[in-house]
Amino acid sequence: MTAALPLLETLRMPWRLLRMAVEALWAYKLRSAFVVCGIALGIASLTIIVAAVDGAERKALEIVKFFGPDTAFVLGGDFRSRAVGQRTLTLTWDDARAIRQSLPGAYLVVPMRAKSGLTLHYLDNQEDLPIAVGATAGYAEVWNWPLVEGRDFSDEDVTRGAKVCLIGDTPARNLFGDASPVGRTIFVGRLPVQVIGRLSYRGLSGGGGSIDDRIILPISTLTQRFNLDRRYFRALRVKFRDPENMAANVAGLRSLLRHEHKLVDGDKDDFSILTADEILKFLSMFKGGLVIFLGVTALVAIVVGGFVLANLFYLSVSERRSEIGLKKALGAKSRAILLQFLVEAVLLTLLGALLGMALGMAMGQLLARLGLLEILFSWKVFFMSVAAAVAIGLLFGLKPARQAAALDPIEALRGL
Amino acid sequence: MSADSPLIALEGIVRNYKQGDQEIAVLRGISLTIDPGEFVALQGPSGSGKSTLLHILGLLDRPSAGRYRLQGEDVADLPDDRLSELRNRDLGFLFQSFYLVPYVSALENVILPGLYGPTPGRQLRQRAEDLLVKVGLGDRLNFKPNQLSGGQQQRVALARALVNDPRLLLADEPTGQLDSATSIEILELLDTIHAEGRTIILVTHDDETAARAKRRIVLHDGRITAS
Repeated sequence: MTAALPLLETLRMPWRLLRMAVEALWAYKLRSAFVVCGIALGIASLTIIVAAVDGAERKALEIVKFFGPDTAFVLGGDFRSRAVGQRTLTLTWDDARAIRQSLPGAYLVVPMRAKSGLTLHYLDNQEDLPIAVGATAGYAEVWNWPLVEGRDFSDEDVTRGAKVCLIGDTPARNLFGDASPVGRTIFVGRLPVQVIGRLSYRGLSGGGGSIDDRIILPISTLTQRFNLDRRYFRALRVKFRDPENMAANVAGLRSLLRHEHKLVDGDKDDFSILTADEILKFLSMFKGGLVIFLGVTALVAIVVGGFVLANLFYLSVSERRSEIGLKKALGAKSRAILLQFLVEAVLLTLLGALLGMALGMAMGQLLARLGLLEILFSWKVFFMSVAAAVAIGLLFGLKPARQAAALDPIEALRGL
Repeated sequence: MSADSPLIALEGIVRNYKQGDQEIAVLRGISLTIDPGEFVALQGPSGSGKSTLLHILGLLDRPSAGRYRLQGEDVADLPDDRLSELRNRDLGFLFQSFYLVPYVSALENVILPGLYGPTPGRQLRQRAEDLLVKVGLGDRLNFKPNQLSGGQQQRVALARALVNDPRLLLADEPTGQLDSATSIEILELLDTIHAEGRTIILVTHDDETAARAKRRIVLHDGRITAS
């Protein structure tokens, strides 16, 4: 005979047991549905966790890339004690000048202020502008944010307080559609400004708003025309030549600013310096918290699912005693009974895993819509869920299955 | 095995149960032989040990002492899996309350013992269909047990007992839950099966039923009192 025959015979029994298991699960639909739901909830939370953690990591890398490894970001006030009500406007033009002139390695210094709650309009199109940023020449370069069209500010634009702006991707699209905004005059509030450059699409969203939804004005124009304090600014970007020595660069920047602000030993900094490293640290701390919180939740959900499974299987074994006894009387070996019950458990948990993943992805989509998380389907999640499900099925199904296999056929039949 | 050697040979079979500290003897030394093709009725009042004897004969239970040779093979000390194989291949069972799997069709019920044996699926299905036709249920193949009457259910069980073509059929009060007309139908089917050359052992406490058998063994208090 052919060589395939022994293989076919080896597979015959598992195949038959699989079919018996499916028949039994179908016969006890309600119970099966309970198990599937119990497992699905656990797997759904697992899916969300893994996807969320992955998403957070991707986002962190994106932010760090955007931030630039060669750049420091200085904020007025110590952001760790901002809640205390310490003033945040501490950075001055003198500071910016001092850094530019006497900090070795720093080659670009861009001070920034921002104003929110303005409106933009062009012809009949109008939109709310979440943020207008005031900056000096080099904004695009210092943020590693290339212009797709037009040019950056010149030093002259800044000293003159010229009525020009760079436009972000979102307002450019909203006001001009596919047409080029460069050279057009738009109104920021009641101030007419000419668009001289368009920033590329960045697509980074943080806390609801899109980073692309902004325009950039010369800082002088912003402070003069919108009545902001002219002496101070909120933040500074400093770009260094050698990103390998960021620690030394940051130390130099800090002591210079302390000197400029006449802080003596023992005084706290009245500014904060952020670097890509620091942001990464903060994000991984946040991620760690996320993992622990969601991990505990998922673990609880999965254990609960497992116990639901174990319980319903014990119920199943006692309810199907006569069926088990009969099968043994008709010549089923203990192993066949054990296997059938294990296959039932694993099938249910697998089904639960698939449903749970679908549920998790759907919930993830919802969270993504709300801008809370970014979730992508990943094979890692898929295989983790499947592995978790099989493990749960085997772990919690084994005891009841063994109990079923060990039943004495006479006792089991008599118990009817 | 030669034609004239017995199918079943019991020698001094004893079966004790422990109940608390006490040992209760249910079978107190049973010796008997049954030849191939016999139709034997096992009779006796309840508590006489006839069901226990049938369980031992059916390899569902093991004797506490004594020798049991089935087709010349000493089966007393065989491992459980081997006993399962023997039950599956050589024995057919008929129970008082039918014991059909409630959630599958008549046909699937008949196929069931075959699923634990080596017969390929298509052949098995064909055999099961033929048997259901033979017991008069050719038009009820896909009925679930709860759609069948008691007599029909027992006929499904009978077809199931025959699906692996066993040499020996063991029936434990097969008509105990049936009315007399239906009982006669079942007993007539047993006659047909016997006529095909199969050995039948039938447990009953009913004289009329026992009268169909060619040989009666009467049990009393764990001993054979008439054979």
